[in-house]
Amino acid sequence: MLDFSLVNVLGACLIITSMAVVLARTGRVSAQLYALQSAVLVALLVALGAVTGSTELYMWSVSAFVTKVLLVPGILLFTLRKVGDSAEVDLAPKLSPMKCVGLVAVEVFVCFVAVSGIDLPTAAAVKPTLAVALAHFFIGLTCIVIQRSIFKQIFGYCLMENGSHVALALLAPQAPELVEVGIATDAIFAVIILAVMVCRIARTTHTLDADDLAELKG
Amino acid sequence: MDMSQILVALLAAPLAAALAMAALPSKSVPRTAFVALHVASLAAVCAAGTMLVVSVFTGLEVYALGEWFHVDRLAALFVALIAVIGTCTGVYSIPYVRHDVEEGRLDPSQVKQYYAFFSLFLFSMLLTVASNNIIMMWVSVELTTLSTVFLVGVYGTKLALEAAWKYIIVCTAGVAFGLFGTLLVYANAADIMADAHQAVFWTAILPYAGQMDHGLMMIAFVFAAIGFGTKAGLFPMHTWLPDAHSEAPSPVSGLLSGVLLKCAILVVLRFFILASLCVGPAFPQVVMMILGVLSVCYAALMVYRQSDVKRKLAYSSCENVGLIAVCFGIGGPIGIAAGLIHCIGHGLVKSLMFCLSGNVMMKYGTRDLGVIRGVVRVAPVTGALLAAGCLAIAGFPPFALFVSEMGFVLGGVAAGQVAVVVIVVAALVVVIMAFAHVITGSVLGEAPAGVERGDVSPLALAPEVVLLALIVWMGVAMPGPLAASIGDATGIVLQQDMQDFAHDGWFVEISGVFAGGAEGVRS
Repeated sequence: MLDFSLVNVLGACLIITSMAVVLARTGRVSAQLYALQSAVLVALLVALGAVTGSTELYMWSVSAFVTKVLLVPGILLFTLRKVGDSAEVDLAPKLSPMKCVGLVAVEVFVCFVAVSGIDLPTAAAVKPTLAVALAHFFIGLTCIVIQRSIFKQIFGYCLMENGSHVALALLAPQAPELVEVGIATDAIFAVIILAVMVCRIARTTHTLDADDLAELKG
Repeated sequence: MDMSQILVALLAAPLAAALAMAALPSKSVPRTAFVALHVASLAAVCAAGTMLVVSVFTGLEVYALGEWFHVDRLAALFVALIAVIGTCTGVYSIPYVRHDVEEGRLDPSQVKQYYAFFSLFLFSMLLTVASNNIIMMWVSVELTTLSTVFLVGVYGTKLALEAAWKYIIVCTAGVAFGLFGTLLVYANAADIMADAHQAVFWTAILPYAGQMDHGLMMIAFVFAAIGFGTKAGLFPMHTWLPDAHSEAPSPVSGLLSGVLLKCAILVVLRFFILASLCVGPAFPQVVMMILGVLSVCYAALMVYRQSDVKRKLAYSSCENVGLIAVCFGIGGPIGIAAGLIHCIGHGLVKSLMFCLSGNVMMKYGTRDLGVIRGVVRVAPVTGALLAAGCLAIAGFPPFALFVSEMGFVLGGVAAGQVAVVVIVVAALVVVIMAFAHVITGSVLGEAPAGVERGDVSPLALAPEVVLLALIVWMGVAMPGPLAASIGDATGIVLQQDMQDFAHDGWFVEISGVFAGGAEGVRS
């Protein structure tokens, strides 16, 4: 029997997979793990659809599968192929894995505290997952800040976008499909343009190291 | 005439021009074809924008495509800003791009890229200010980033690409926070409204704002302020701004600083209104006040220490957006009206200054203020405009920013925020020193040897003269319809009828400053 506890378990899986995306050593593995995380997101949407009886969520899960499990990882893997040997992609992050895990733990805790103050009937049963959705913003931000490779910084944005998607599904499961399509389409365009910029930078400067791209200061 | 159709035309024209330019091959099609399409796009935006704004200023509220698009008097101020500054910077772009082509900085594909994305940029800003659908509002803010990133990096140099990367990564991440805030508001509204499909429309949410969950709305507003505040260039999310503004072509810098930052401010204001209705004005005002004071103080110091003219102007934008946030933080009719006037005044002044920085770069080939000397001797008209622009941006009379800064001081004192006023005025003194130094060090003085004497082309000077005339006009005698619209827009932000303010002694006194004593309060 499906209930909200399954949704919350899948929410916990989202945190684990997002940590894996951030900590992966290579861009290729990060892209594959992001596809895995998106698959968890799709499962969460299906579970939530079954629990709430919202048919819109089934439609969302289909579009999320196409855009997040297939398209975005595909675009990112294609970008890796385009960059090729012109620049080093797999640069180690600025923070050690242990420190990174500690930072994320603090972020998740703070988000749980923040969400505990919310009094919204639709969110009452899924507060842990709502906290996870909120935490994805800070995990995404952490990814952008700690990654030296600008290619890997793209995953930070993708994680933040997944957080929004989960929050929308939790708080407004009856939202029109158009809302979800608008957000997903915009995210795809953003990832494409980020990928184009990475290719241009690699071709022009032969580096994807954020530290090398820090001449503009002051 | 059906204004709904005019609004659709206003949105469609620059989009169609951008798509047409994108479809044309850059190698076989001459530059003049792209210039012609660019001019057509500007003419359409200027004409349709003027018709729409005049209609709204005379009392009409325009909806289009059902409730998806909505232009009230608040949005009309920003449509006017886009139409005027978009046209001026667009016209200025023509000689500027020609100069860059002659200097070998732009090839035909980059020229095509420039003109196509310029029109797309205008479309995305118009979409932002006209959106009534809050999700569309977010999508359009995101679109402004995506459409301008290639303009910032158009030169394709390492520094331009570095600036473009910082711009897109900081803004997309920042605006993702805005998305979260938007979704929280939507979910909150959908929970209490009978028809969840209506919960995406700002005007439909408004009557229900008071019933929303307070905790959720506070989180939503903080996320919106951070997210869209990133796009507005508020400290500490401003890090993209000095790099993007300094590396972009000067007309684009003018449009970014003069208009884009204000579009983001409008979106913050839309959330400010909802939050004020839900949890009361104190919380959103405190958030705006904190972000504003930090922005003004930090940016004022950075303005002073910059030796790169465009970075100096970029930090000045951060400082002025901070001042706008402080005005909204002060609240009340005077604070809000001062903030709105500052949006318009700063938009005009900063686009003028960035265009003038383009003139200076065309003559001196550098942005270094240590090298730029004796502009008035090298290019007399540019020098005179630059001196006037420096005085205007520093807030001297008779220019527009004097009016809004006076409004800020008086509004702050009226609201009992004397400490904030003192801190901000101290920061503004630093800014005055910084721009006085530009006048004495760069506008005046001996010109370096080897700089060719003579001004830039009349086509480059014409939009600058128009901008300065508008700045003086706003400072000396603000047009009655504009003053009345600012009053009504203030009423929209405060969700009060303007007649209520007619009994506010302070507002009656100060409206004389805003409206030249004529039309400020329609009492």
